[in-house]
Amino acid sequence: MGGGPPPSVSLSLFVKEIVVEKNDFKVVNKRVLKMDSLGLACGEPVFTDDVDINGMLYGRILWSPYAHARITKIDTKEAEKVPGVKAVLTYKNVPRVPHTTAGQGYPEPSPYDTYILDNKVRFVGDRVAAVAAETPEAAEAALKLIKTEYEILPAVFDTFEAMKDGAPVIHDEKDAKNIPDARHNIAAKFEFEVKNGEWFKDADFVIEHSYKMPYLQHCAIEPHIVITCFDPFGRLVIRTSTQVPFHVRRIVAQALKLPVKKIRVIKPRIGGGFGSKQEVLLEDIAAALSLKTGKPVKIEYTRKETFISSRTRHPSTVRLKTGFKKDGTITDAEMDIVLNTGAYGSHALTVMMCSGSHTIPFYKVKNNIKFLGRSVYTNLPVAGAYRGYGATQGFFAWESQMDIMAAKIGMDPVEFRKMNYIRLGEGSPVFKAMGEGREGVEQVITSIGLYEGIEKGLKAINWRAKKEKNKGGKGVLRRGLGMACMMQGSGIPEVDMASATIKMNEDGSFNLMVGATDLGTGSDTILAQIAAEVLGVKAEDFIVYSSDTDLTPFDVGAYASSTTFISGNAVKKTAEKVREMIIAVAAKILDRKKEDLRLEGGKVVANDGAACGLSEVANTSLYYYDQHQIIASASHYAHTSPPPFAANFAEVEVDTGTGKIKILDYVSCVDCGTAINPELAEGQNDGAVLNGIGHTLSEELEFSSNGTPLNASFRRYKIFNTLDMPPIKTFLIPTFEPNGPFGAKSVSEIGINGPLPAVANALYDAVGVRLFDSPFTPEKVLAAIKKAGKK
Amino acid sequence: MSNIKYCSFPVTPKAALAELLSRKNEALAVAGGTLAAKTLPETTVNFVELKNLPLNYIKMRGPDLVIGAMATFDDIDNSKLVGSWAGGVISTAAARCSSQLIRNMATIGGNIARPHSFNIFPAVLLGLDAKVKILCKTGVKTCAFSDIYLADFKFRPGRDCLILEVVIPGKTRNWTCRFEKFAKTEASWEAYLTLFMAAEINSGSMNEIRVAVGALSPKPFRARGAEKVLAGAELSAGVIDAAVVELERDMDVVRASEFKKEVSASLFRRFLEVL
Amino acid sequence: MKKESIRLEAVNGVFRISLTVNGVKKNFAVKNNEFLLNALRRYGYKGAKKGCDTGDCGSCTVIFNGKPALACLIPAFTAHGAEITTIEGVGTVRNPHPLQEAFVEAGAVQCGFCIPGMILSSKHLLDVNPSPSEDDIKKYLDGNLCRCTGYVKQIQAVKMAAKKIKKA
Repeated sequence: MGGGPPPSVSLSLFVKEIVVEKNDFKVVNKRVLKMDSLGLACGEPVFTDDVDINGMLYGRILWSPYAHARITKIDTKEAEKVPGVKAVLTYKNVPRVPHTTAGQGYPEPSPYDTYILDNKVRFVGDRVAAVAAETPEAAEAALKLIKTEYEILPAVFDTFEAMKDGAPVIHDEKDAKNIPDARHNIAAKFEFEVKNGEWFKDADFVIEHSYKMPYLQHCAIEPHIVITCFDPFGRLVIRTSTQVPFHVRRIVAQALKLPVKKIRVIKPRIGGGFGSKQEVLLEDIAAALSLKTGKPVKIEYTRKETFISSRTRHPSTVRLKTGFKKDGTITDAEMDIVLNTGAYGSHALTVMMCSGSHTIPFYKVKNNIKFLGRSVYTNLPVAGAYRGYGATQGFFAWESQMDIMAAKIGMDPVEFRKMNYIRLGEGSPVFKAMGEGREGVEQVITSIGLYEGIEKGLKAINWRAKKEKNKGGKGVLRRGLGMACMMQGSGIPEVDMASATIKMNEDGSFNLMVGATDLGTGSDTILAQIAAEVLGVKAEDFIVYSSDTDLTPFDVGAYASSTTFISGNAVKKTAEKVREMIIAVAAKILDRKKEDLRLEGGKVVANDGAACGLSEVANTSLYYYDQHQIIASASHYAHTSPPPFAANFAEVEVDTGTGKIKILDYVSCVDCGTAINPELAEGQNDGAVLNGIGHTLSEELEFSSNGTPLNASFRRYKIFNTLDMPPIKTFLIPTFEPNGPFGAKSVSEIGINGPLPAVANALYDAVGVRLFDSPFTPEKVLAAIKKAGKK
Repeated sequence: MSNIKYCSFPVTPKAALAELLSRKNEALAVAGGTLAAKTLPETTVNFVELKNLPLNYIKMRGPDLVIGAMATFDDIDNSKLVGSWAGGVISTAAARCSSQLIRNMATIGGNIARPHSFNIFPAVLLGLDAKVKILCKTGVKTCAFSDIYLADFKFRPGRDCLILEVVIPGKTRNWTCRFEKFAKTEASWEAYLTLFMAAEINSGSMNEIRVAVGALSPKPFRARGAEKVLAGAELSAGVIDAAVVELERDMDVVRASEFKKEVSASLFRRFLEVL
Repeated sequence: MKKESIRLEAVNGVFRISLTVNGVKKNFAVKNNEFLLNALRRYGYKGAKKGCDTGDCGSCTVIFNGKPALACLIPAFTAHGAEITTIEGVGTVRNPHPLQEAFVEAGAVQCGFCIPGMILSSKHLLDVNPSPSEDDIKKYLDGNLCRCTGYVKQIQAVKMAAKKIKKA
């Protein structure tokens, strides 16, 4: 490994991490084609909108034009008269039940501050009324005829202003629940301290910086959409593009005061989510319109509505104050994060806690640790879950600061990180104190491949040679290199639960029913791989059906990077039960002891070579004697959340004449334990990285001074296309996580956290200028270069 | 679009014009329509679809390069003839227009008919002293491209006249040109600014110089101050500096931001330094 | 080249047009304010998607008179006489086109929403340029947005498809 440790650091710090060289898996960690890919590539009609339902009405929502106002009058008489209009809903004719839209486990760690429709509007784009009509034109016409009068209230758009005494109170309603301090617009707050002596006493240096991120939107290419209708038994059927079908069922039941048994939620194929669909955004209002009209209702967001009235990332300000010594020890860390949660508090507590729980344990802090987090209401669009979930905001701060600290003590930023990151077997007081929404769990690192990831990345991007070459760079174009390291989690320990059911068919194939939600991630396929590995068959021998609250067992849904780790373990356990049942039948067929039998290559094989096919087992159990269906279910929840680890490297070229940053190369090395499906894992990471690069160089929702969004379209909020994308290379570092199914951890979120700090560090390396708020637009870069006199 | 009662597919310019001028129905001619389609005036009754007009040719006429109004950005990008003209700058500009899908649909005629800050070609045509041939009720007229955006231009393309073709004068064939589109991302429809720069150098001095700025406003403008410094001058470091200062002054006149001023200065300087 | 000027007249705001979709002659009744994307989806061609409805994402891509175009920007009535290919005309699950196979094999399909558009754009590229460079591919797909894949495996898929088609 090039270079060796600097002489002042002892070799014992470089504990050997266990990287897996080989494995003898048959299906897991092998190339298996994603099951639904061919249908999708052929345009099969599998998305929510791809069905035609008789008598379907079109729902449209009337949005608030004001950032903060009371509805003093709302008259729908004229609207109701429009030919084709079947229902008009306002706060007057829907139940008022405070709830949260956040798709989280019950009781949700988010304030109950949302109503289907309210007599107050809290941001430009908040719901005012809803219409269902026979044609979209009639619905639009009706919206225009709803007469509203508002009492406009003072609005607040800045989190620090919102927390002051006398600021407009956004949630002044009496029936909201779980708001820690409504008068100061605080939707969530959390404080945690570990004290081992006087603050900063041991530090040779103390630095403090604030890092900002703006409003960002997921931009899943499929906008939010739902179709609600009734089945022949009068039950409400909700067909929706969601990451959380079970939470949708429960929350719709709550908001509409319906029993859960009257609702069925089906998730078809989804066109991306990234967190924006971990939310009950349309299902409640569409259901309300269906209940009123007795008819199917479709509501689909326009792209503009998706930007404004769905969910966004939490804009944030992180103030990070760290103390450190000349020898590279980090002695104290104080992290203060203020998140803008927008007009409603969905995910307000949990994103805020993850910004600390996923970041602070990453580096060893010798003496004192403090975390102070507040999520603050403002009269702006509602923030929610977005890939990264607080860790993105947190690592921008931490990984930028690591470089600043290293520079201060003249230490190589790579060595500084290597010296300080958490090791195999080590824990952190933060793990227990801070979970996601509540206390976490004590845990130690049970798998990590970060050293290998760092070394591999350094080599792949040719770090040392390029750094040498860039020294003393002159000229208009300047090059630089930067890195960032990070971790995430794998599900929420002792909260997230998943379950699965497997049943066997005559030909030795199986049905796998899982609540787990495939949002394009390929979870259907990888779960089949896990089951196939246990049962000694191929993934193609599974017929997977997922995310239907009537037919699949419970799963919290796709978020918190939980599917592989938690749903995967549930599937593994279920498959193991089925294996026992198969062996019991085969033991009779083969007249052998159960202990002597194993499943292999589609057969049950005895130690002495006797064998029978799975189809024989199935037919025997279904038809011949002792007839029974081979079927089993199992559930799983975890006691730990083993983090995946990643090291990201960026090479940039900065045009000092225009401020444009061009990324020349980007390498992302990820330790996700065993990659159940390496290609899918790589693809996930590639996408997460490009999304993060978009955050870094381009993306930002802008608002006017009265809270109106200015660039809520793909025309003006630019996500990257094929020409914008830099070369991206993902490397998977294989480790083995003992608590994960066949050694797997998660991979879906971590990649998005790297680009912002890696590019910030590369920018500094190139032109000696550091930016503390994203995106790094040419305008900002140019202004910073000028200010620093670095031209 | 709810008042549209007719859709015409004329196959000759004369027939197209007749549709426009027939006073019975409010008509609008659409060529490509990538920007127009979603912003049609509600009063439109007759939608005149121009795609069947034989106007997508790209050819030489004498010394001049002639591009039919219905030539798409993709046609222009891929044309060897256009690629051989003035260092291929017209093709380069075409290639910078938003995305391939738009380039397959959008036409040069549509791109110049109404002033809009998204439009790519106006700055280029302004800089190349292009002419435009239009068909109006009194017959075929040729005018300077810069004329059609003047407040007193008598006709409104698409409403009461039809753009037939764009003529690039032969004198520009060997000019050294560069087109810069400085935008947020590669497929942005809008840009921070577009810059068309052209020069012809004879025996060491600047025989011809054009600097046209687009995207700052619906209509492009020529940076006359910068051009004046360079006209007839010998390129030296001092002259380049002076020209850049003048460009910045030209940008001040239109109240361009500090940032856009600086970027245009950098890009302009780069163009001059390699001449 | 068409020989005669045509003029369509709407009755009660509805135009009757005829066009060819995937090689089959079709008659559509389309509203005067309807775009081709909507009309195609109403008539069962669900592969074209509505991602933005403003021509910025490419998920509505269809081949229109020989070139990939954005169906959400084409007023439906202007498609009278047009020849259109949708993803359903490129290949099916039982009989896929090499491009569709390549996208599957390269792991280039995640949520799948952008894929029909990607494949139609790629197909046209390979039809006119059987050996595209990576830059050619990137330029040709620059109107098809994807948020899932980062485009890495999609570009590999097009290269793979080019090889497959050449072999065949």
